[in-house]
Amino acid sequence: MIMNIGAVRQSRGLLGYIFTTSMRSTNAMQSNKKFSTTTSTSTTSSTSKDNELIKKSVFISQSYDIFTNLAIEDWIYRNYDLKNHHILMLWVNNPCVVIGRHQNPFSEANVFGLKSAGIELARRNSGGGTVYHDRNNLNCTFFTPRDRYDRKYNLNLISRAIYREYGIDTEISERDDILLHGKKVSGTAAKLGHPNAYHHCTLLVDCNKNNLKSALTRNEKEEIISKATASVRSPIKNLADVNKNVNVQQLLTAIGYEFLRTPADKLCDGGRELVMQQRGFQLINPTEKWFPGLNELRENLNSWEWKYGKTPKFTVSTTIELKTNDECHNSMKVCVDVEKGIIQKIDLILKGSSEVMPIVSSLIGQPYDENNFEKIVNALKSVSTENVKSVYENGL
Amino acid sequence: MSIHGKTMLPYIVRKVFEIQHKLYQQQIRACSTGRLQEALKIEEEQEFPKINEIKQPEESSFYYPVDKKFKHDPDIGEQFSYSQLRVRLAGPHQLQPKPEADDLQFGKLFTDHMFKVAYHKRLGGWQVPEIMPLENLVLHPAAKVLHYAVELFEGMKAFRGVDGRIRLFRPEMNMARMNASAQRSGLPTFEPEEFVKCISRLVSIDQEWVPHTESASLYIRPTLIGIEPTLGVASSESALLYTILSPVGGYFAGNSGTSTGVSLLADPQYTRSWPGGVGDRKMGSNYAPTIHVQKEASKQGFQQVLWLYGDDHQLTEVGTMNIFVLLINDRGERELVTPPLNGLILPGIVRHSILNLAREWNQVKVTERKITMAEVKKLVYENRVLEMFGAGTACVVSPIERIFYMNENLLIPTMENSDAVWRTMRNTLLDIQYGRVKHPWAIEID
Repeated sequence: MIMNIGAVRQSRGLLGYIFTTSMRSTNAMQSNKKFSTTTSTSTTSSTSKDNELIKKSVFISQSYDIFTNLAIEDWIYRNYDLKNHHILMLWVNNPCVVIGRHQNPFSEANVFGLKSAGIELARRNSGGGTVYHDRNNLNCTFFTPRDRYDRKYNLNLISRAIYREYGIDTEISERDDILLHGKKVSGTAAKLGHPNAYHHCTLLVDCNKNNLKSALTRNEKEEIISKATASVRSPIKNLADVNKNVNVQQLLTAIGYEFLRTPADKLCDGGRELVMQQRGFQLINPTEKWFPGLNELRENLNSWEWKYGKTPKFTVSTTIELKTNDECHNSMKVCVDVEKGIIQKIDLILKGSSEVMPIVSSLIGQPYDENNFEKIVNALKSVSTENVKSVYENGL
Repeated sequence: MSIHGKTMLPYIVRKVFEIQHKLYQQQIRACSTGRLQEALKIEEEQEFPKINEIKQPEESSFYYPVDKKFKHDPDIGEQFSYSQLRVRLAGPHQLQPKPEADDLQFGKLFTDHMFKVAYHKRLGGWQVPEIMPLENLVLHPAAKVLHYAVELFEGMKAFRGVDGRIRLFRPEMNMARMNASAQRSGLPTFEPEEFVKCISRLVSIDQEWVPHTESASLYIRPTLIGIEPTLGVASSESALLYTILSPVGGYFAGNSGTSTGVSLLADPQYTRSWPGGVGDRKMGSNYAPTIHVQKEASKQGFQQVLWLYGDDHQLTEVGTMNIFVLLINDRGERELVTPPLNGLILPGIVRHSILNLAREWNQVKVTERKITMAEVKKLVYENRVLEMFGAGTACVVSPIERIFYMNENLLIPTMENSDAVWRTMRNTLLDIQYGRVKHPWAIEID
């Protein structure tokens, strides 16, 4: 994924001032380096005086498209100077499944099924597990400089907001989940870079549980072996399950105000006094003309190479029952190796045999998905055991 | 007497041969109309009506005093300060959705917040300043502003620099000008530094209204109106000072406005300002009468109006901008000419900046003097006008291509120079404003 690194040209200009012209660099680190002479360099330890200077903004995205929102998240992470500015971004998406950076989408959902249902699949930049989003799920991203990254602060802030607004008691688990009566209402992931970092999490407000369940279901008969991060499945709950009044709009206002009224270094209430000193709420329109470079980020996130091509190597297999003429049941295992999202090879292992028989197929070199796998399986099912056995015994 | 080291003589001889026929034609026209003859008369001495004391501005001083602490009227009462500022932030439901960046036309869209502070003489002077979500004003029907145009305003911009920091361009000058306008309108004056701090806070809150590109800015419109609900033509004892912000892309609809030059209508029957008037203050009453004239110009296919004054058709301003002419003078030197601040001209901040830059640059002679249409016409015929451009906050520099004057099209070769002064000025100012060059004129707000 990438950005034009700015070229720095220096020339004696009109007045003998040194002109430093540069392409608008979309790398925050670059811009900080060039102009740091005019601003004081940040110290690693934050004193309370420094924290007085930190102004907070709440950005609310005008888009419901997962790729646009992931792109603007990335844009802010790369381009904003967060030294004295902490940002909370609040965003909502149309129904989609979002997998972690190092995950295998085929382990987490029925990818082909999602496509048919019109549910987008996206791979985010941060690690962690898979989540399902819909319009009744609120996403929160906390942007800070790397040295002020604090997940517990963020999650506690959300918990406080929910309590202050609705009187609902939630707790933060060790795995950084927000729990309501022991069930998950939120999942967390983060990205730590230089000089910025972000922590994002979901909040289930009134999500459609049936849709969630069917989106995150895959064919269990297909066994997948891979080194990809596996999701830890947990039972979930909606905030609206305990209080019918909870809705996304009201909740985001509550969390936003809690963010603005809490000092950056302490979980306490600064009240209206502190809110008055902040930058406040802002709607953002994530389009190229407002944020140059955004389209490129979005295209990358929506590309096959990123979504599927980044899948860690895996092998998917299933067992096919063979019917024989002599009522003797046998089975064979078909294994498909997939690397970078492409079918590399297809193997057949007859039960009881240790021999591995490679299959020639036009599907080798094609992108993998469950549909293709089913085609392979169906093709193999139609071959009778006799043929298979004879091939084994007589060789090819 | 040389241009770039070459002697003048061959140049003059060549020019004379080239334009001889034009001079001849001009003579014929001069004889046909008496009025025109008068207009074509070029005076030896540069005389202009000395109504006010004409201050030849020094390099750093402005028309209105900037550096010194402002001297208020003794009975003005309390001043407001930034430390008193109260902020009421807009909640998510009060925010305006942001449109496509292309739809950001000048002055059509406003940000989410505004600044307001009231003045009541009866209550001791200036009251507590506040920032709140953008809302309508409620005025008594007898409010003086509605009857006698007791109003003044300012125009300035905030820029998001290439390093992400927000900068204001020479705000202290707008403040000085605004206080001077206030005095002339019978309105209360204020502490310039405190107001700039309040404006900075407002800009800081609404800074996400500026796209992250390098050609967008936030236009700042501070306004002062007299709201006392009495019909007497007297000083308004109550006033409202407020500021609204408008995100802008380029100034003229569509593009940046400098790929082609503008066309002007110069009609001496219309006068924008006059000696003893308020042409040198930014008061709303100066602008209302110009709307009809602008409409006439547009109908005839011209983009802006070139305002002339006097029987000798002096050039004063173009549209809402100051005017500059780059010409070759009688000594063969390149000279940058702009009308002087004699009371007819609004002392522009971009104008002042360009004069400073040009003097520092020292590549052209810089003169503030009267210039008439007769002179311009003569020089155009002799190919001695190199460039003409308008200068103002809205579009920084606007090159002029054509002037329609007395039924004649004067073509100005402004766009033809590759090494143009107007372009250099524009680029230098933009570099300062966008923080590409570190310069004391661009003040960071945080």
